[in-house]
Amino acid sequence: MRTSFISLRRSLQVATRLAGVVLVVQMVGATLLAHDMWIEPTTFTPEPGDIVGARLRVGQDFIGDPLRRDDALIDQFVVQAAAGRKPLVGRPGADPAGLLRVDAPGLMVIGYRSHPSTVEQTAEKFSQYLKDEGLETIAALRARRGETGAVRELFSRCAKSLVLSGTVQPTEGDHALGFTLELVAEKNPYTTTAGQELPVRLTYEGRPLADGLVVAINRNNPTEKLSARSDANGRVHFRLPQGGQWLIKAVHMIPAKADAQADWESFWATLTFEIR
Amino acid sequence: MAEAFDEHAGGLAHRRHRGRWSGALVLVWALIPQVALAHEIGTTRVIATVAADRSYAIAISSDASALLGRLELAQRRPITSGTSAAEVQRAFDAVCHEVPRHVAVRFDDVASTPRATCIVDAADAAPADPFNVLGVTVRLEGVVPAGATTLRWQYGLTTTSYALLLKSSAATETIWLEGDEQSRPLALATMAAAPTRAAVARTYLGLGFTHILPKGLDHILFVLGIFLLSRRLRPMLWQISAFTLAHSITLGLALYGVIELPSRIVEPLIAASIVYVAIENLWTSELKPWRVTLVFAFGLLHGMGFAGVLRELALPRSELLTGLVAFNVGVEAGQLTVILSAFVCVGMWARQSDAYRRFVVVPASIVIAATGAFWTVQRLVA
Repeated sequence: MRTSFISLRRSLQVATRLAGVVLVVQMVGATLLAHDMWIEPTTFTPEPGDIVGARLRVGQDFIGDPLRRDDALIDQFVVQAAAGRKPLVGRPGADPAGLLRVDAPGLMVIGYRSHPSTVEQTAEKFSQYLKDEGLETIAALRARRGETGAVRELFSRCAKSLVLSGTVQPTEGDHALGFTLELVAEKNPYTTTAGQELPVRLTYEGRPLADGLVVAINRNNPTEKLSARSDANGRVHFRLPQGGQWLIKAVHMIPAKADAQADWESFWATLTFEIR
Repeated sequence: MAEAFDEHAGGLAHRRHRGRWSGALVLVWALIPQVALAHEIGTTRVIATVAADRSYAIAISSDASALLGRLELAQRRPITSGTSAAEVQRAFDAVCHEVPRHVAVRFDDVASTPRATCIVDAADAAPADPFNVLGVTVRLEGVVPAGATTLRWQYGLTTTSYALLLKSSAATETIWLEGDEQSRPLALATMAAAPTRAAVARTYLGLGFTHILPKGLDHILFVLGIFLLSRRLRPMLWQISAFTLAHSITLGLALYGVIELPSRIVEPLIAASIVYVAIENLWTSELKPWRVTLVFAFGLLHGMGFAGVLRELALPRSELLTGLVAFNVGVEAGQLTVILSAFVCVGMWARQSDAYRRFVVVPASIVIAATGAFWTVQRLVA
C-alpha cells in the first residue's frame, strides 16, 4: 500500500515536471533566421582504439552544413574522458574538424567553444528570430528601450556531444566543461531508453539558467520537436519518445558589453547523443 | 592584422577568467583597429556562368546529406539516411525539382525559373567511409532575357557563409553571402556582347555547310543516291527540291519545339532512307511520282536530324530565325557541292549510258545501300 502510494506520488511528480514539455510540430517551409551549431561524431558508439571524427554542423532541424576546421574560430575543441581532458587535433580546413582516438572504454564528452562571430540583421528579422528562439525577454527589453533599428549581434557556440565506447558504467555521466552557456545531461543518456525521463540542466556562466527555452530534436523526425522552459534550477525533464540521435539546444542572449561594438551577444548551446 | 585579431578575439573569450587583466585587455581592445570577426564558412559554393549565347548555368556544389535533408523536409518526405552514393542519387532524383523553389535568379528584377539537375559526386562509388562526406552538384539552367544587365541571386538551402562566383568569358567576380542573403545586383556587363546578326548568319552558314561536308556522310550518301537515279537534270531537280523543302520544314518546326522525335528513332530511319533510294536505283532509272513523295518524306526525317545538331549548338534565342535560315542555306550549299562534284566526276560517262549504269550506278548504289543497311542496324542497336 505504502509503495504504491510512493510510486503514485512519484508519478505525479514526474507528470508535473513533464507537463512543461510541449511537443511542437514545426510548420514546414518556415525558415528560421538563426542557426544551431552542433557536433556530429562519425559514430556515437566507437570501439576502443577507434578514431572518431567530430564533424561540426550548422543548420536547423538537425540538418546541417559542414563546418570545416577553422582555427580562427576555435576557442576550445576538447574531449573530456576518465583520463582527463585533451584537445581534438585536426588539419585546418578539414571535415571532420577534429579527431580523437578512443584510448579506453568509457563515456567521452566532446566540446567545441567558438570565438564570437558577428551578424547584422534588420529589425524585422531580428524580432522574428527572438520569437523563434524563445527570447521574448530580449524583445521586451528592446521595446522598453525603444530600439527599432537594424541589429548587430555577436554570437558564439557552446556545442557538446556524448560518445560512449564499450559498455555503459553506472558511475559515468556528462561533465560540465565550463562553457559560457552549457547543457549538461544529468543522467547518462546511454543508460536511458526511449520513453524514460532524461533531466537536462542549462547553465550560464556556471550557474543554473531559469526560463530558458530548451528544445529536443530527433534526427529521423526533426519536425516534431519537444520544447520546455528550464525551471528555477535550470532543469528540464524530457521524455524522449524514440531512440536514435538527439540534439538538445538552447540560446541565451545578453546586452553586448559596451566595448563589443555590437548591440547584443548570444550563446548557442547544443548537446548531441544517441539513445536506444 | 591576423595576429592582432587572434589576440583580441581570445581576450574577449577569456576575460571572465582573468579579472585582473580585464582592464588592460579593454584598453588593448580599444586601441586595436576593429576588424571583422571570423565567419562560419560552409562547404557550399556557387558558380554562375553566363555564355555568349545568353544561356546561363549555375552550379551549386554542396554537402549531399544537408541538401537532401532540407529538400526532403520541404517535401514532407522521410529523411533518407543513405549510405551509398547510388542511394543518395536516387533520393535526389525524387526531390531535385524542389530546388528552384528555394532559389531566386533575377535578371534586372525579372525572375527566371531555371531547370534543375542534381548529380551526386561519384554516384557509382562503393558505400562511403564514415569519414568521407558526399558532395552533390545542382545545376540550374536557363536563358538570360535579352538586354538584361544585372543578376541577383538568393539561395535558401544553406545556413553558412558561401562564395558566389560569377564567371563570364571576360572576368570572374566573387562575392560572399550569408546563408539565404540576397546578393546585390551583379553586373553582367563584363560578359561578351551578344553576337551581331551578320556574325550569327556567317557562323551558322558555315555550320550548315560543314554539317554536310565533311561531317555528314549519311546525308552525302543520300544525296548521291538521288543523283545516281538519273543523269537528266529534271528528275534530280524534282528530288532535290522536295528534299530541301521537307528538311527545311521539319528543321524549323523541331527547332521551335513544335515537333519532337527522339534521335534513337530519327537516326535509324535516316539510315534506312539511304538504303531505300540506293536500292530503288537498282530497279529503275525513271523518276516515279512515289519517289518524289518518298524523298519528301525522307527530307522530313533528315530535317529532324539537323534540328538535333542545331539544338546542341545552342542557337541564341534572339537570332533563332537568322540562325535557322543561315544553317539551311549552308546545308543546301553543302548538298549542291556534293552534286556538282559528282557531276564533274561522272561527266566523262555522259554519252555512254549503258556503261555508266553498269559501272557506276549499280556498284555505287550497292555500296551505298550496304553502308546504309549497316548504319541502320548499328543505330538500332545503339
